[in-house]
Amino acid sequence: MTDAPILVVGGGPAGASAAATLAEAGLRVLLVEQRDQLGGAIHRQPALGAAHTVHAPARHRRNWAELARRIDAAGSRIELHTGTVFLGVDGDGRHLFDDRATGRVVARTIRAAVIAVGAVEKIHPFEGWDLPGVMTAGGAQVLLKETGVPPTGPTLVAGTGPLLLAVSAQLAKAGNPPVAVLERGRPWLRVNALLQMVGAGQQLAEAASYAATLLSHWVPYRTGTDILSVREDAAGLEVRVRRSGSVHSLRARHLLVHDGIEPNRVGIPIPDPEAAVPVVLAGDGREILGADAAILDGRRAACMILARLGLRLPDAQVEARLKAARNVQAAISNMFRSALPEPTPETLICRCEARRLSDFRSLPDDASAREIRLMGRFGMGVCQGRFCGSTIAALRGEAVPSVIPPRWPLRPVSLAALADLKTDELES
Amino acid sequence: MMSRIFWNDRVVPFRPGETIAAALGRAGILSLGPEGGPVRGRVFCGIGACQACVVSVEGGAPVEACLTLATGGLRIGSMPAVGGRND
Repeated sequence: MTDAPILVVGGGPAGASAAATLAEAGLRVLLVEQRDQLGGAIHRQPALGAAHTVHAPARHRRNWAELARRIDAAGSRIELHTGTVFLGVDGDGRHLFDDRATGRVVARTIRAAVIAVGAVEKIHPFEGWDLPGVMTAGGAQVLLKETGVPPTGPTLVAGTGPLLLAVSAQLAKAGNPPVAVLERGRPWLRVNALLQMVGAGQQLAEAASYAATLLSHWVPYRTGTDILSVREDAAGLEVRVRRSGSVHSLRARHLLVHDGIEPNRVGIPIPDPEAAVPVVLAGDGREILGADAAILDGRRAACMILARLGLRLPDAQVEARLKAARNVQAAISNMFRSALPEPTPETLICRCEARRLSDFRSLPDDASAREIRLMGRFGMGVCQGRFCGSTIAALRGEAVPSVIPPRWPLRPVSLAALADLKTDELES
Repeated sequence: MMSRIFWNDRVVPFRPGETIAAALGRAGILSLGPEGGPVRGRVFCGIGACQACVVSVEGGAPVEACLTLATGGLRIGSMPAVGGRND
């Protein structure tokens, strides 16, 4: 068992930082990443062989260069498997992986696990959010980083939060400035929050540079603006928006939406640093603290594992720096806070199962979470509730449950591959 | 190796190293179908979480277009309708 590697799931900043820290302490690491390259969403690299660059703050580039150097320096202590999807922990406690290159499912014996699977974007549903042409702003950003090419045709960016600025500026620099940025909040009016941001010089400088890019491309930034609905016709999308009580209609080919992010926790193992095989979460998948703090949080996770294995004391400084990041995130949330518009009855809530708000309203008021799933079919589809879960919790007036039962497989997987499961045969 | 894939029998070129989603997007293919279904597939979250861009693959298991690299000659198409009523 002491020969078994430490598993790190996810090759973004938190996972890369955890893997490097563990390897530097002399441990063997099994680093598993679903994509063909490390980097995660924030440090997504151009497609292999492509030569473009996408506008990004210098500190993000420096941060990734340093993590990549540390991963490199660890050499064979890190066993890297790209193109490999973590499927979760099965009923026998086996950690399962889908090796997409060979089409095989494999299990590995591990000594401990760091799960660093990042965040998912929150999407407040509106009528038509399910249409082709509507995409998350973060998803569009990832595609842009890979290809260097923005979507073609008129593009609207809508929802709330600082990511709208970043994506819009990057689209503008890549040659297709958005028609408009539609922000639900009114960040400039939150004076208290602005004052709280004083300690966040890097983030403010980043936002100012994005704002300058938008200004120079004449991209309007409209605050206090809600999306009401989207319709599709032969020419593209008709987007109805409401601003200061009046309703306008805008045309676009692409609508990029984003309402903040939340940890990607659906179905993944419950953290337990004291278990026989300790499990620790890291990065935005544990707590939304942003890209810079994710590196720190990966280190924190690694140090927890090292402490649990009796190899090192926990790092007290890390906690203080994470607290500073937490304060910045709280200030940002406060700055962009806004009331959500009520979706129409026809609005899809659960896209996978095509269930609408009217279907939800027809369930008994006292329906349990289980009944909402089994009778209502909400959250029963292939995304496993990653996108409707927070909406349903909000409709029920409840916070999202902090503990979501672990479940496997986390992704659809071939039955033939599962039936042919091999243990400890993950091949390079 | 051919640098093209087939989407529902339509020829779609791709650049080496890019995903199916990137190739379809450049070709202007936004709807992943099936046309007339209660919901249609589309690239949405870009990180393999939402499963809205899952496409069927000839000779293999369905995959997320946003995670999967295009490879020469790959034949892919719309998934069967999802979200049909179960009552």
